[in-house]
Amino acid sequence: MKNLFRNPKESIAAKLIIATGLLIVILSLIFWYAIFLKQQKDVMSIAVEYGNSFTDFIKRSTRHSMLSLHTSTIQKTLEDIDTAEGVERIRIYSHTGSIFYSSNKKDVGNSVNKASIACTGCHDNIRSPGLLPEPKKWEVYKSAEGVTSLKLIDTIGNEPSCYTAACHVHPENQKILGFVEADISLALLDKTLFRQGLALTAYVLIFVVAISLFLGIINYKIVTHPVNELAKGMEEVAKGDLGYSAKINSVDEIGMLAKRFNAMLKDLKAAKDQRILWTETLEKEIAKKTEEIQRTQAGLMQTEKLASLGRMSAGIAHEINNPLTGVVTYAHLLKKRFPEGSPEAEDLDVIIEQAERCSKIIKNLQTFARASAPEKEEIDVNRILQQTLSMIRNQEKFHNIKFITSFEKGELRILGVTNQLQQVFLNMLINASDAMHEKGSVTVATRRINEKGDPFVEIEFTDTGVGIKETDLPKLFEPFFTTKPQDKGTGLGLSVSHGIIKHLGGQIKVRSRPGKGASFFVMLPAAGEKA
Amino acid sequence: MKKILVIDDEEIIRKSFQKILTPEGFEVKLASSGHEGISSLQKESFGVVLLDLKMPDMDGMDVLKEIKENWPETKVIIVTGYSTPEAKEEALRLGASDHIDKPFIPDILTERVRKAFNND
Ligand SMILES: Nc1ncnc2c1ncn2[C@@H]1O[C@H](COP(=O)(O)OP(=O)(O)O)[C@@H](O)[C@H]1O
Ligand SMILES: [Mg+2]
Repeated sequence: MKNLFRNPKESIAAKLIIATGLLIVILSLIFWYAIFLKQQKDVMSIAVEYGNSFTDFIKRSTRHSMLSLHTSTIQKTLEDIDTAEGVERIRIYSHTGSIFYSSNKKDVGNSVNKASIACTGCHDNIRSPGLLPEPKKWEVYKSAEGVTSLKLIDTIGNEPSCYTAACHVHPENQKILGFVEADISLALLDKTLFRQGLALTAYVLIFVVAISLFLGIINYKIVTHPVNELAKGMEEVAKGDLGYSAKINSVDEIGMLAKRFNAMLKDLKAAKDQRILWTETLEKEIAKKTEEIQRTQAGLMQTEKLASLGRMSAGIAHEINNPLTGVVTYAHLLKKRFPEGSPEAEDLDVIIEQAERCSKIIKNLQTFARASAPEKEEIDVNRILQQTLSMIRNQEKFHNIKFITSFEKGELRILGVTNQLQQVFLNMLINASDAMHEKGSVTVATRRINEKGDPFVEIEFTDTGVGIKETDLPKLFEPFFTTKPQDKGTGLGLSVSHGIIKHLGGQIKVRSRPGKGASFFVMLPAAGEKA
Repeated sequence: MKKILVIDDEEIIRKSFQKILTPEGFEVKLASSGHEGISSLQKESFGVVLLDLKMPDMDGMDVLKEIKENWPETKVIIVTGYSTPEAKEEALRLGASDHIDKPFIPDILTERVRKAFNND
């Protein structure tokens, strides 16, 4: 409720109450004033009516004395009537304004004030005494004491008993013989009117206050409270509490707003929860992938080590087996020249035996290298490419590289080792990125092709880099051939890749457009369709 | 006369083949490279060719393919110091009749060569 009395600028309720209150006050004032005027008029006409019968009464009371010209009696009668409450003064004067009788004795013999209603009531101008079409017979004025008074003037008409009276004061042709004037105090009426006005004002005030209060409460219940509730809700939401729900049950527009608001909050909360869930899942997924990548990298290193061990043992086997063949063969040939069981033949047997032991050691080395190399299995090239691409997309080296992929539909199965193929593809992509100074586009495409009648899978990597110099082309797959700075290139990428692909029965082809880019084509025999 | 062609880039090996097989009654001709071997085959016919798989000028496999294409009657025995099972398989697929690992025992070589001739 205290919100009702806040700064009116900030409260709808206050604004509404002030506006309606003001309207009611103005309307009430107009209404009040109209009633007041009407009352005053009514009261006045009643007063005038009573006043007229009063002057009539004076005329009748003095009639007898007039006819018999008992002037002292007339004077006395006026003085007596004047003692009645509310009567202030009674005068009788001629049409020239000479006062004949007055309740105030000192007045007798004087003239009336020519500017007063006594003259102006009928004559518009004293000097040319024309008559007004509608004579004014009464007026209300404020006496010197501040009391409202009513002044009434009545004419005393001529009649036969007047001009036939013994005194012969009035001739027959005189129409008006004089005037009776009475001043009556309206103090009592004033008081009543004032009281009535006061009561009316009080009614209006109570009415205004009651209406305003009522409006205020209604407004508070219907508008202020729900709006505050909503505002509180929004504050809570801003603070991050989406579990809030505005408690408004009305079915009006604000209730509807609250309902929508609550629904929106619910949606928001659901979305936020979903987002949190996603973030968590994503984090887990990232952790999983990171671990996978680390494992792959470790695996790659291991494969590379084993691959180089395999290549080394192959080289050693070839280089050593040839001389060993010489040793064994010549020892046998020599042995044939000595009789069986001779000491020479026995010594030669030792030579042969030792040479064969050497060859066995080499065979074991080969077997070991081959045995530790991972097993080949049927794998989908598209999938491995996709994995490799998603693995590198987040790496800084590839941030400014646009990948254009065009994969053959379905699975492209080949026989190979996942880690090794990933290593090959990774190498191609790293080389492409290096050739483009880490900015440009790389097209990665796969397709089924026919190579001398056999089904093959071809993977294309085309970049928009510097390309390869004609003179470098023959050296590209040599171990340690690199054009990159020492800390960047090892020159092993393509040679290892070549080794892996060759081992799988495939090959790598290069096409270069110096200054424009290079394309590498990795071709692998398709699985399950071996001729 | 049973004629044998030895194709191997190492002289000691070539000569050892000759020393082992000549006393056994074979006529042994020597070639130090794939190209040389092919031109020998173009001049005269041989019953058996002993072929090293790893030579600098021409891959043993390619020599094997060419021999089998042009002289399908000629038996080819692969003699190699280092070979993976896949390579051996590939050689057999291309038409080699046998393979012998280096180093070999002379008697075993003789026996295998004889077998090649007898399988005719
Ligand atoms: N996509 C390519 N565009 C231009 N040159 C390339 C590309 N790929 C490889 N090369 C050239 O081949 C060389 C050898 O590559 P590689 O064997 O992967 O070793 P490294 O990348 O360590 O230099 C590179 O140094 C580069 O000169
Ligand atoms: Mg590289």
